[in-house]
Amino acid sequence: MTIAASTELICFLILSVVIIAGGIGIVFLENIVYSAFLLGGVFMAIAGLYLLLNASFVAAAQILVYVGAVNVLILFAIMLVNKREDPKPIKGLQLRKIISAGVCAGLLALLIRVDLTTPWSLPGPTSIGELATERIGEHLFTDYLLPFELASVLLLMAMIGAIVLARRDVLITDVGTGKEVNQGLIEKATSPLLIDKNSSS
Amino acid sequence: MFGFLKKISHYTQDALNAAKYLAQGLSVTFDHMGRSPITVQYPYEKLIPSERYRGRIHYEFDKCIACEVCVRVCPINLPVVDWVMNKEAKKKELRNYSIDFGVCIFCGNCVEYCPTNCLSMTEEYELATFDRHSLNYDNVALGRLPTSVTTDPSIKPLRELGYLPKGVMDPHDVPSTQTRTGQLPSEVLELLQKNSKNNNTIEK
Amino acid sequence: MENISEPIFLALINPGLDLEFSFTEAMKGLGLSSQFAHILWLPLPMLLVLTAALIGVLVTVWLERKVSAAAQQRIGPEYAGALGVLQPMADGLKLLVKEDIIPARADNLLFTLGPVLVLVPVILSWLIVPFGQNLLISNVGVGIFLWISLSSIQPIGLLMSGYASNNKYSLLGGLRAAAQSISYEIPLALSVLAIVMMSNSLSTVDIVNQQNSAGLLSWNIWRQPVGFLIFWICALAECERLPFDLPEAEEELVAGYQTEYAGMKFALFYLGSYINLILSALLVSVLYLGGWGFPIPIEWLAQLTGLSINAPLIQLIIGAVGIVMTILKAYLLVFLAILLRWTTPRIRIDQLLDLGWKFLLPISLVNLLFTAGLKLAFPTAFGG
Repeated sequence: MTIAASTELICFLILSVVIIAGGIGIVFLENIVYSAFLLGGVFMAIAGLYLLLNASFVAAAQILVYVGAVNVLILFAIMLVNKREDPKPIKGLQLRKIISAGVCAGLLALLIRVDLTTPWSLPGPTSIGELATERIGEHLFTDYLLPFELASVLLLMAMIGAIVLARRDVLITDVGTGKEVNQGLIEKATSPLLIDKNSSS
Repeated sequence: MFGFLKKISHYTQDALNAAKYLAQGLSVTFDHMGRSPITVQYPYEKLIPSERYRGRIHYEFDKCIACEVCVRVCPINLPVVDWVMNKEAKKKELRNYSIDFGVCIFCGNCVEYCPTNCLSMTEEYELATFDRHSLNYDNVALGRLPTSVTTDPSIKPLRELGYLPKGVMDPHDVPSTQTRTGQLPSEVLELLQKNSKNNNTIEK
Repeated sequence: MENISEPIFLALINPGLDLEFSFTEAMKGLGLSSQFAHILWLPLPMLLVLTAALIGVLVTVWLERKVSAAAQQRIGPEYAGALGVLQPMADGLKLLVKEDIIPARADNLLFTLGPVLVLVPVILSWLIVPFGQNLLISNVGVGIFLWISLSSIQPIGLLMSGYASNNKYSLLGGLRAAAQSISYEIPLALSVLAIVMMSNSLSTVDIVNQQNSAGLLSWNIWRQPVGFLIFWICALAECERLPFDLPEAEEELVAGYQTEYAGMKFALFYLGSYINLILSALLVSVLYLGGWGFPIPIEWLAQLTGLSINAPLIQLIIGAVGIVMTILKAYLLVFLAILLRWTTPRIRIDQLLDLGWKFLLPISLVNLLFTAGLKLAFPTAFGG
């Protein structure tokens, strides 16, 4: 075994251990913030696996999208609504646990079956390395144009939805006049927020 | 349609203006970089305090008549005048006098009202101590004269901006022979005297 | 395929200094296998670049203090070494021997991990900074994209340290830093994309080579003036420099996410921000100012003097000039950043987000579209 191959193997083992242990940690850790940070670690380890497969563009995209965007958003959500409260007792928790364990076990069995029955061709197709970026671009704009465009339309819809949700001006009826008052940012207020009862009447 | 175009033109105008003002600001900052520093490197160089600088108070024990005017004019009755009545001589006998400079606000009222001029302002301002109680000066401490900035050989005295010759900003290399802008008090006095003499001669 | 072969063709014309090749040859001369020589070679450029980055930080800190002093008509550090050049070293030493305090109610593990996560991606990004044709650690194919994706890890470290400090100012600072970082990443990436579109490659070496056909006139700044401005503004925001330093706005947030940090952990943040500043300046010089290129193409000068471009001495001179040019351009930009620091007041968080999302993002999109149009219309001038 050459030095390069053994290095690759060691890297692969470390990354796999990180991914599996991290994944278990995400599920079982009590502190949700730890789970979110671990998720980031797992995403990065997956990017490491892509690097080992000579897919550097995919690895960079994985970090940019999953670590830089998805995970940061999750962390934002957790930190902005960080309520420390004990979970309320749920009725029939035992039964629910058993059912979910059953579903998970079934899923695991299915995955193991797929893993065992699929004829993995080893080694796979040779990697094209640096050319991969161009090939991805070509494929995205020829064979996979429809899914690509659909995904972009979906993202656009999500974005517009988010903007609509965020920009929804809170309309409150004024105490004094009974008119609707635009409660936007105070600096940009178009009308006085709550007109004094005495002065208006 | 037209309103939209107007909006766009306003927006561009705003952006261009912002860039212009930013460039102006940058040029000001850049210009300042060429100017020589105005730093006074304190322990080695010191500014000469102005004539009526209100520094630490100096006190002459022998001149004091223990009248306590200083206490009465002080905003917080700070000076402590410790005297006893000598019944035989029917005179106040001063034993101790102290001012706590941790509390003093250096307003100079005591100096102003002292009937015997035993209080005066010095130009000493370096009063820092490790213990606030050592700021409470007794009559011995109050009687010490500070070392003047101009006579201390280890310090380079620098003139303040108002005492520099016309057009000079940097006090470092100004020879002591060059006087400040305008007339010195002595010159004003001389001029006044000369004027009054002239007036007198005219009247005569 | 023509697009790819062009940079390679350029590289064949002017191979530049190939230190690795010479090193491997020298090692082979000593009787070592080429594989072993390669392994011996690997850490050398890394250490060199790491040292260069650290020295760059020292120089930048000194420059920042001196230029700030000059802008405010002060003297600045003076007694540590000649003109105070040793002052940053003294600062670093002080931070090194300072007590490492972890607040009692802080999250120990995350508190320690945060600064590391902030520093490591920044240092990793030096992987792609070229100082010459072959003078970079690794000419990876994804090049500049690697930098964009690595710099997106930073917000996680900031959030982590903000959260772990168990301090409201730290948390607010961390959230602000992350929000700022992710919102300015988009216009930054879009303006980089316009460059990439013109040079048909993500590799920093190709981007520089594409700019150096006619010296000063062929630099990207003339073809992408808007992109240059957007990139520089976003880079300042990513580095949290004034006027965008509101994650650590001392008037409102004490020191933001750095509030609870002391000693070496604080030094890591400090180091990270300065390395990031130098890195951004270097990348601006690579993307827009022709990287290691001399204002007059060095090949023309060689032709004028009648010297062969492949002579070893000329190669050495070209390499040295390249390094000097890159660093010179970067430090000019650092100087500009320092000037900007003392010129512009800090903006509010809503103004910051307005600028990012409502001004820079549309403009960079328009710039991208415009570049694409120009590329189709004038393929020769815009790298068709």
